[in-house]
Amino acid sequence: MEYLLKNGYVVDPVNKIDCERMDIAVKDGKIVESVDESKAKVIDVKNMLVMPGGVDLHSHIAGSKVNVGRLFRPEDHYKDYEVKSGVRRSGVGHSVPSVFTTGYRYAILGYTTVFEPATPPLKTLHTHDELNDIPIIDKACFPLFGNNWFVMESIRDDKLEECAAYVAWLMRTIKGYAIKVVDPGGVEAWKWGITSQDFDQEIPRFGITPRELVRGLVKVNKMLGLPHPVHLHCNQLGIPGNYKTTLKTMDAVKDLAAGDRPILHITHVQFNAYGGVDYLSLSSHADDIADYVNKNPHVTIDIGQVIFGDTTTMTADGPFEYKLFNLLRGKWANSDVEVETGAGVVPITYSRSNYVHAVMWCIGLELALLIKDPWRVFITTDHPNGGPFTEYPRVFSWLMSKKARERVLKRIPRLARVRTNLKDIDREYTFYELAISTRAATAKILGLNNKGHLGVGADADIAVYNINPKEVNPSTDYKLVRQAFSRAYLTMKDGEIIVKDGEIVAAPVGRTYWVNTRAPKDVEDVVIPEVKKRFKEYYTVEFENYCVPESYLAWSAPIQPLEPSGE
Amino acid sequence: MKVINAVLCPGCGSLCDDNEVYVEDNKIVKVKTECAISASKFLNYNKERNTKPLVRVDGQLKPTTLEDAVERVARMLVEAEYPLLYGWSLTSCEAQKKGVELAEEVGGVIDNTTTVCHGPSILGVQDFGDPTCTLGEVKARADLVIYWGCDPSSAHPRHMKRYSSLIKGKFRTPEQRKVVVVDVRKTPTARNANLFIQVKPNQDYELITALKMLLQNEEIEEQEVAGVPVEQIEELAELMRSCEFGMLFFGLGLTMSEGKDRNIDAAITLVCELNKWTKFAIMPMRGHYNVTGANQVLTWQTGYPYAVDFSRGYPRFEPGDTTAVDVLSRGYNDATLVVASDPVANLPKDAVKHLCSKPLAVIDPHMSLTAFMADVVIPSTFVGIEEEGTAYRMDGVALLMKKIVDPPEGILSDAQILDLILKRVRELKKGR
Amino acid sequence: MKIKVPPQTPVEGEVLTPDNLAGRSINEILNLETFRGNRRVKLSELFTVEGESASNPSDLHLILEGDLRKVRHIGARMSAGKITINGPVGTFVGFEMSGGTIVVNGDADAFVGMGMSGGVIEVNGNAGDAVGSGYWGTRCGMRGGLIVVKGNVGAEVGLWMKGGTIRVGGNADVFTGVRMQGGTIFVAGNVGAKLGAAMVDGKIVVLGTVPNILPSFYIDEIRSNTKVDGDKIQGPFYVFYGDITEGGNGKLFISVEKNQHLKYREAYLL
Repeated sequence: MEYLLKNGYVVDPVNKIDCERMDIAVKDGKIVESVDESKAKVIDVKNMLVMPGGVDLHSHIAGSKVNVGRLFRPEDHYKDYEVKSGVRRSGVGHSVPSVFTTGYRYAILGYTTVFEPATPPLKTLHTHDELNDIPIIDKACFPLFGNNWFVMESIRDDKLEECAAYVAWLMRTIKGYAIKVVDPGGVEAWKWGITSQDFDQEIPRFGITPRELVRGLVKVNKMLGLPHPVHLHCNQLGIPGNYKTTLKTMDAVKDLAAGDRPILHITHVQFNAYGGVDYLSLSSHADDIADYVNKNPHVTIDIGQVIFGDTTTMTADGPFEYKLFNLLRGKWANSDVEVETGAGVVPITYSRSNYVHAVMWCIGLELALLIKDPWRVFITTDHPNGGPFTEYPRVFSWLMSKKARERVLKRIPRLARVRTNLKDIDREYTFYELAISTRAATAKILGLNNKGHLGVGADADIAVYNINPKEVNPSTDYKLVRQAFSRAYLTMKDGEIIVKDGEIVAAPVGRTYWVNTRAPKDVEDVVIPEVKKRFKEYYTVEFENYCVPESYLAWSAPIQPLEPSGE
Repeated sequence: MKVINAVLCPGCGSLCDDNEVYVEDNKIVKVKTECAISASKFLNYNKERNTKPLVRVDGQLKPTTLEDAVERVARMLVEAEYPLLYGWSLTSCEAQKKGVELAEEVGGVIDNTTTVCHGPSILGVQDFGDPTCTLGEVKARADLVIYWGCDPSSAHPRHMKRYSSLIKGKFRTPEQRKVVVVDVRKTPTARNANLFIQVKPNQDYELITALKMLLQNEEIEEQEVAGVPVEQIEELAELMRSCEFGMLFFGLGLTMSEGKDRNIDAAITLVCELNKWTKFAIMPMRGHYNVTGANQVLTWQTGYPYAVDFSRGYPRFEPGDTTAVDVLSRGYNDATLVVASDPVANLPKDAVKHLCSKPLAVIDPHMSLTAFMADVVIPSTFVGIEEEGTAYRMDGVALLMKKIVDPPEGILSDAQILDLILKRVRELKKGR
Repeated sequence: MKIKVPPQTPVEGEVLTPDNLAGRSINEILNLETFRGNRRVKLSELFTVEGESASNPSDLHLILEGDLRKVRHIGARMSAGKITINGPVGTFVGFEMSGGTIVVNGDADAFVGMGMSGGVIEVNGNAGDAVGSGYWGTRCGMRGGLIVVKGNVGAEVGLWMKGGTIRVGGNADVFTGVRMQGGTIFVAGNVGAKLGAAMVDGKIVVLGTVPNILPSFYIDEIRSNTKVDGDKIQGPFYVFYGDITEGGNGKLFISVEKNQHLKYREAYLL
């Protein structure tokens, strides 16, 4: 099938194209130099914005804790439902949508790649079971390593090569994509009922600190040549004063950086940028974090923006969720996973008139606006922790328009305005920067060379938005921005039309990416039998049954690791 | 003869995956296991098995072709205004997914056996949440294990040896663990417990209330509660408060006695309360090997774990009205498809009466009681023996069940049969 | 509107509210669609209609006749006007209603007044379980309005109730007022076990017997009478407060005369 998208204003930062009138040619699922106009289907996208399909590197869409969220929140679903029609299967929203609805709603936003950022290895067959059912988008999942017994023991014993071999084995066995670390050591501590873990404090009964753990894994990541840096959710999430931990964490691996490839990605930093000593004195230290990121190219971040309204928090950070439960005294789900990690789920309603929520809202935007390099700061809501992904267009409008921000700032408590910097920031994102932060840069940091751009050879994942960048001033017409990005005029995936004028017209299967990691054979030959032995002692499943066969994935898309860079 | 290792047992919710099965000439000849349920599953599955599609003609079940049976089921579903698709707990997730797709396509109600078993547990979770863990956490750390209203020695024979009290974990030996049983009578499990508390039938709620009061240091103005002397309740409260990691397993004794989901409300909030003092978690003892899978699949595909009504083209959840027993007792449905379950043997009389008064189709490898009452019966394969498939353990861990032997000629899996029905349903609907 | 034939499969009754029918001619009403099972049907297929509509919902009186046991959600989300149902009716009568009046001259099923925030529901018969409760997971039941059941109610009446009043002429089953957060429940007859379980606020008055009081309720005093929505109810009453395990301030008013087996609790009066 050949297509020609004519006359659109193309924004393609990887290829340095900024709102230029250009035609995009598509053939056999790829972007090509040109097509025969007489044979191809011509789609006139005059005066519209043409971007690569969105790439979301951090969104909780599949797996055990997401399903717990769905299960225990029928009230989240019963007023937001989708009727079966045409190719669309029925489903429900709102903050924890069912799987079909998840795929459709992302495609309608013009997103074509979404990664699940946290999966407990033992339960990853479940994660893939759900990912298989999410239509349209390409996806992957990040296995959790930050509270894993094998990892902690090998780092404690200074056996980094063995740690790397274990991580390699695990990554390819359960079909994961990147090393995810959540509250390093903290979840293990929580399994003994301890709810706080300091970055430089020894993890109970394991004899190493989170600092050593994180450093070890960053080294392992380099050794294995994984395409994405270590993806880290810091200790002390949600706690006033935690910005210091975030700074310490980023600085802890600075010496391990080589060249200009970032080696650490800190996720949903908004939750980790707090000053103050308690919630009453909560303040923003986004400026300190931004300052550090501006000066240090070895880190990237995503913001984790808060949206006012009802949503569901869910994370592997079990102890944090327990603390949140004690504050809110509503519902609480917790699931510690043997040997590896944990999870917690707590519903929340972010309220404009609540001082703490208002400060949180400011912080996310401050981070995005104060960090100068859009290639290193990505727009997320940590769906659904900050808010549902369907609200991304609202976040875009806040970033692109000071007026839009002021409208909200007017209605938050005065003290929240005073203790944050947002009101003084004039910067407004351009379409170009938006495209970087939501597509080009995220694809790049994930190591997806065929995504996030519209150059020849790229996957034909394209989003067209009905907004004229030459006529619309996003600074004043932010409502138009929000509307346009809420329903793509056209979404194309692998050269097939998925969304036409905001409606789903096709729902093909998407890829599941995973990295086929290997460690040197002689090391694996020592480590894997050792792991097998420990399985009997530690786990309650057989070593043999731990594997997720490649055939399990609906569309398996293995990626080879990069050339490993030396220690 | 060959031996196949790491075989998952299609028995109870423990989903043990370390069985050794010996196969010769496509037959299972031996099974290395200490569990009677497991041995029975592997060695006796072929007994009283049905191998022919059947259709009721002049009051009698007569053999027919698969094509004919599929046609009749498809017609039945398409013609029905409110079909009920029930069962799902003794089959693979792949089949359950087909079930959801079929229910959506025909605009019916899909419900699984949760409805008569741990439905109340789910309702409790929907109001309060679920402080839980995987079974390996119990193995690693638990020094207090409570079995409330359940009898693992009988229903989950290897549970204690594999997961809880009789196993050595990283931080705990069996000697370092205490077992408490709370039940209305002294069950086999209770006989070997460190502490047995005999609670008056239907008064578990009162007992949990008393425990909460003691944990909060409130006075109990009674000598005994729920038939249990206050000193004994104090003993239990102290054990709970002073352990390092406590685990509360519960079963139908709580879910099906007076109060039902309010009992689980009490149990969950008790465990949440206990987390103020120490680490505590709770877990339902799921009965069938893949009822958890039915809940999981239904939840991620529709948003709701059971009792899903598709009659208006989208999933609706109103347990007490869209639950199978209620649909049947009120006489809502006008046709039923039963897959991998035996409601005639398990459901209340009124429900069964209505079930048998309407067109009924059954997909099952056995001639269950329900099959004997059906208008159409389609035989299928045994998941985990003749068929590969995903199943979810009681703690939510998903595992892939193996195919050990080939099924008899011409017998398809539940998933394949449902797929055929789905195709035919779509053709019929187009024609209408 | 009279139902032609009691349906075999459930009929969706959401459309049957003054809000939906006001301002429509009889013909238009007959052409309105609803569901019977999974089939879209016109109201004309299910009902015969007589009389006249009104332009304003508050002026509209809808009278439904016949065996409506399988008609669900009648009066859902209504805000004004009146519905009179002459016959037994199905589940979820008055679901999330905010105003107006529903009268049932017959038995109602489960979930009467679920999610109600205002208005009046009168059942001149029995009602089923969970009267005045809330949708699953919301942890919020009835918030306002009045529900009166002349006969008996099932279990869990007033589950998660936050406000408003429920009056029961007959008996109530187990868990009356469970998880109550406010409002008032009055039962002229007997109640079942676990009265007021996990209550945090609100008031329950019982003129009949109660088998026991949970250990999480302490006796406060003996009162000679009490009030329900301004009406004086003659006692004397044992007054219990709780649920202690929830730090609750709920009050149970239990008839002294009918509950002499609770006399031993008097020993704990301060």
